[in-house]
Amino acid sequence: MSMMTIETPLMRGLERVLDLSAFRHQIIAANLANIDTPGYQTRDARDFAGEMQQAMDGEETSFTPVAHKLLGLLERPDGNNVSVERESLLLAQNQLRFQVAVAFLKSEFHTMSAAINGGSTS
Amino acid sequence: MNLFGMLELSGSALGAERQRAEVVASNMANAQTTRTPAGGPYRRQLVVFQAQRAPRFALSFALAGGLERESSSAVRVAAVVSDQRPPVMRFEPGHPDANPQGYVAYPQVDPIEEMTDLLGAVRAYELNASAVQATKNMIAQSLDLLR
Repeated sequence: MSMMTIETPLMRGLERVLDLSAFRHQIIAANLANIDTPGYQTRDARDFAGEMQQAMDGEETSFTPVAHKLLGLLERPDGNNVSVERESLLLAQNQLRFQVAVAFLKSEFHTMSAAINGGSTS
Repeated sequence: MNLFGMLELSGSALGAERQRAEVVASNMANAQTTRTPAGGPYRRQLVVFQAQRAPRFALSFALAGGLERESSSAVRVAAVVSDQRPPVMRFEPGHPDANPQGYVAYPQVDPIEEMTDLLGAVRAYELNASAVQATKNMIAQSLDLLR
């Protein structure tokens, strides 16, 4: 990250948003993959909202994504507590968040490019 | 962060659910089968799902990138087991497989049970297919940044 010399604080924040979203997407995909595995417990990123907020505030934190088992969900008789609704909604939400971050990042790059080219947008 | 590993992960679930649907199809096809190579009537088959660590390839990728962490679990079919319930005995004295008392052992296959299982497999397959779609979108959007 520090290799990049042309960088704005927003870019750094967006980069972390992308990282977090990709990480969470992986967890959601794993939960969905194990929807019928007996005894499987839903996992989620620890304090995802807090991490996201820090990323948006541009705070420098050591980003160590950790997945942990989520408690308090309704468990089926086979010990599996994956909720289709929860995971589908999170999947959609997470994807949109990723899309937003990509859009913002693109516009940042365009702004940067415009600055380099002296105001011309190409 | 490895977006491609997620495709493998969802792919493992697609494969497992497809196998489950295949087993259901085989159960329904053999609902009236009274002869098998092992002898006796067909026995209803069941798949056993098991969570497993991410595929080795994805894991080594993560290790190379210094991103090792508690890896997400893919799913695999650990075993296909036979239902241990006793066969249904039906009184059909004329049947070539009837026992001396005139009863024929038929497989313990309940169509409702099988259809429920099939629907579950199809829904889970769809769900994972949409996860694959989401992953593909995210990869495509990332690539879009290069333009």
